[in-house]
Amino acid sequence: MREKGMDGWLIRGLAWSLALLVLLPVMVVAWRSTGEVGQAWGDVVENRLWGHVRQTLLLLVSVVSLALVLGVPTAWVVSVYDFPGRRSMRWMLMLPMAMPGFVAAGAYVDVLEGLIPFYVWIRTNWGIDAFLKMQELAPWVFAVGVLGTTLFPYVFLSCLAVFSRQAAGALEAARLLGAGGLRAFFTVGAPMARPALVAGGSLVAMEAMNDYGVVSAFGLTPLTPGIFRAWGEGEPVVAMRLAMVLLVMLGLGLVFERWQRGRRRFATDATEGILGRRKLPWWLGLGALGLCLVPFALGFLLPGWRLAGWAWASRDSAEWAAHARAAWHSFSLAGGAVLLVMASAFLLVAGQRALGSRSVTVAQKIGLAGYGFPSALVAVGVGAVVVWVSRNVPGAGGLALSASVSGLMIAYWVRFLAVGIQPVVAGFEKLPGSLREAARVLGERPLGALWRVDLPLVWPALVAGATLCFIDVFKELTLTLVLRPFDFETLATRTYRLTDEGRLAEAALPGLGLVLLSLAGLIPLTRWMRLSEK
Amino acid sequence: MRLIRNKWVLMSAVGFCGAGAILGAEPLHIYSHRHYEVDQKVNALFTEKTGIAVKVVNAEADQLIERLKSEGADSPADVLVTVDAGRMQRAVEDGLLQPVKSGVLEKATPVALRDAQGHWYPFTLRARGIVVAKGRVKEGEVKDYADLAKPEWRGRVLARSSTGGYNQSLLASIIAAEGEKAAEQWAKGVARNLARPPQGGDRDQIKAVAAGLADAAITNSYYLGMLLNSPDAGERKAGAAVRLVFPNQSGRGTHCNVSAAGITKHAKNAEAGRKYLEFLVSPEVQNIYAEGSFEHPVSMDLSLGGQVGKWGAFKVDEAGFLRLGELSATATRLFDRAGWK
Repeated sequence: MREKGMDGWLIRGLAWSLALLVLLPVMVVAWRSTGEVGQAWGDVVENRLWGHVRQTLLLLVSVVSLALVLGVPTAWVVSVYDFPGRRSMRWMLMLPMAMPGFVAAGAYVDVLEGLIPFYVWIRTNWGIDAFLKMQELAPWVFAVGVLGTTLFPYVFLSCLAVFSRQAAGALEAARLLGAGGLRAFFTVGAPMARPALVAGGSLVAMEAMNDYGVVSAFGLTPLTPGIFRAWGEGEPVVAMRLAMVLLVMLGLGLVFERWQRGRRRFATDATEGILGRRKLPWWLGLGALGLCLVPFALGFLLPGWRLAGWAWASRDSAEWAAHARAAWHSFSLAGGAVLLVMASAFLLVAGQRALGSRSVTVAQKIGLAGYGFPSALVAVGVGAVVVWVSRNVPGAGGLALSASVSGLMIAYWVRFLAVGIQPVVAGFEKLPGSLREAARVLGERPLGALWRVDLPLVWPALVAGATLCFIDVFKELTLTLVLRPFDFETLATRTYRLTDEGRLAEAALPGLGLVLLSLAGLIPLTRWMRLSEK
Repeated sequence: MRLIRNKWVLMSAVGFCGAGAILGAEPLHIYSHRHYEVDQKVNALFTEKTGIAVKVVNAEADQLIERLKSEGADSPADVLVTVDAGRMQRAVEDGLLQPVKSGVLEKATPVALRDAQGHWYPFTLRARGIVVAKGRVKEGEVKDYADLAKPEWRGRVLARSSTGGYNQSLLASIIAAEGEKAAEQWAKGVARNLARPPQGGDRDQIKAVAAGLADAAITNSYYLGMLLNSPDAGERKAGAAVRLVFPNQSGRGTHCNVSAAGITKHAKNAEAGRKYLEFLVSPEVQNIYAEGSFEHPVSMDLSLGGQVGKWGAFKVDEAGFLRLGELSATATRLFDRAGWK
């Protein structure tokens, strides 16, 4: 039933304002990157651009490959076989998601230094060329390793869902027909998991593309640090052009994926089942356990252990006041962002359901797109808007990037709106539309129905979305580093800065705080996920 | 009753006056890039001596300059402190500082290292020298910056990233002295000789030289001082394994950068600002810097500090100093062309 009254237009208007706000940073960047730029752009194209692009491609391909190598076999083994420790590994393999990459990087950076005797040995025995080659390779190995071991859970989780549920019927059939083990994997499991692999792999690729902390810790220069370098050097147009390059690469990636998929369609069997697990002989079972323990250890246990040790050792000399201030900033930013995001998400989704309007659906889709924009692009776009407003709108000087969190909040909102929308959409899907129709027939206006019928019913989904959003903002580093005001640190920026200055022991404490909070957020989330699966 | 009431009134009046005396002096607002412990000590000493409270905002110089531009006449900042003369020159060009006339400051600082109109004055000197491994490099083997670009040093040199201000100023000084072409050749030579892609700060380079990864590193002198006096035994050992060389002594002298301070254009408390600047160059404070952060006193009076005195006197490259700001963009470009990440 399409609504035409005042309420309907109010909701439509609000939804469209939100959608336009999400698009604003991209539009600003696209428009201003065509502007005057002078000698600086020519220099960058000649000397830096191809290095940035090459490194970005190399980074994405390596990290996604590593995440697939770590995530797919473990998901397979945990879904299809039974071995001692399987149940624990099923949730333990998710824990690396709570370890932000730049925190883990801090735990591995000094390992690079410790390897010096090994390099010297290489130089004495294999010559100076081998030595120099190793020096170039080492930071890549570490950076890809850290990103791969902390991001593989995305792939793990999406494949888990496929192997243990959606493909269950087909896998049982394959088993009955005599194709066991690896054959079933390659002929049934892997092809059916393609959408999951793409979904998980895309998430990993996006996180790697947006990463700043890990690649800087190891001295690499893909596009994201390159964009921030240009911004910091006072060349906003150069930064915006580089951001457009990144956006184009993203677009090409999407096109490539579509083309690869071709005409294939992926349907999940309506009769999903639970796969019966095969018990492994003890020696294979140990192998399976070992296979699972490796990514868990590298991505969570080892860095966590080292950080905990350092934090404990430095507990007396720690600057508790500064850490507490940073923690307070993290909490208040995340809290504020959550309020903004969830209110907007609710409006966009519920409004679309209430009005059934095509235009609100489009607005909602645009809101979802915000997650896909590169962080660097959003940072530079929002930064440019705030700078312009603070310089040209009289009395708005206090909004300047260096003075207020307004720019930062807008950037968080643009980036994480999708994180709020997704669970709310899922929550609404469970609701029968007839409830609202009933409310309308009984006299409620659209807004009233929204407030009094929909809101209480999707409350659990809103809470789930709020939790996800809170954790994402809490851990966020890239946007925060660029758009924060003076003298303003969050736990994330503090950890990064201390690691960057070589004060690893002091960085351990705020880093650990980040991990613990993310863990705390994962627990209700996984519970909600399991409940919603039922 | 009347007596008590009068006594209380009297006491509160006295209390107010006392408080007024202590709080009466307007605090001094400083925008500073420096954030070492020794700076807090110096500021506390200033408050003790003059009764003026000091409020510091810390950020990178570029951000501070942007902030000053946005704030305009409403800026609360009285003093700007940076660790790079180039940035100070940028601040002058952007019209953010006011000239200061002070006999004390003119006497304490060398003419070649301060702004001609008095917009800013240096208060510490930071020499960018070369540390060499004691066992593996003979005395006199490395004398100039140019030595590090020679082919026999392939894979034996360490330096931090070219994106940092210190290396940019160094290259700017080479451009000023020898021209763009020679500077690019030098940067290319050194980049080819690097034992690893630039990683970490100056201290990491020194530690890596001590550990055997390379034989020489470009670093600021005070970082070596910090290692030698570190509470960590490993760091002290690393510092003791290397020797500091002041390059180009027989030529133009060693490139130095400065920590400098100036008074902002719209300072509300310019008088206190001038007092602060003069305080920074006083012998007592110069001694605190020499002993606390191992930076050279701007007067080059080496009797002022232990470690600094041990390193001895050296010639400072003064000729191109005031051109560092205008040449830093060129330096960035040359670094990119030379492949020095």
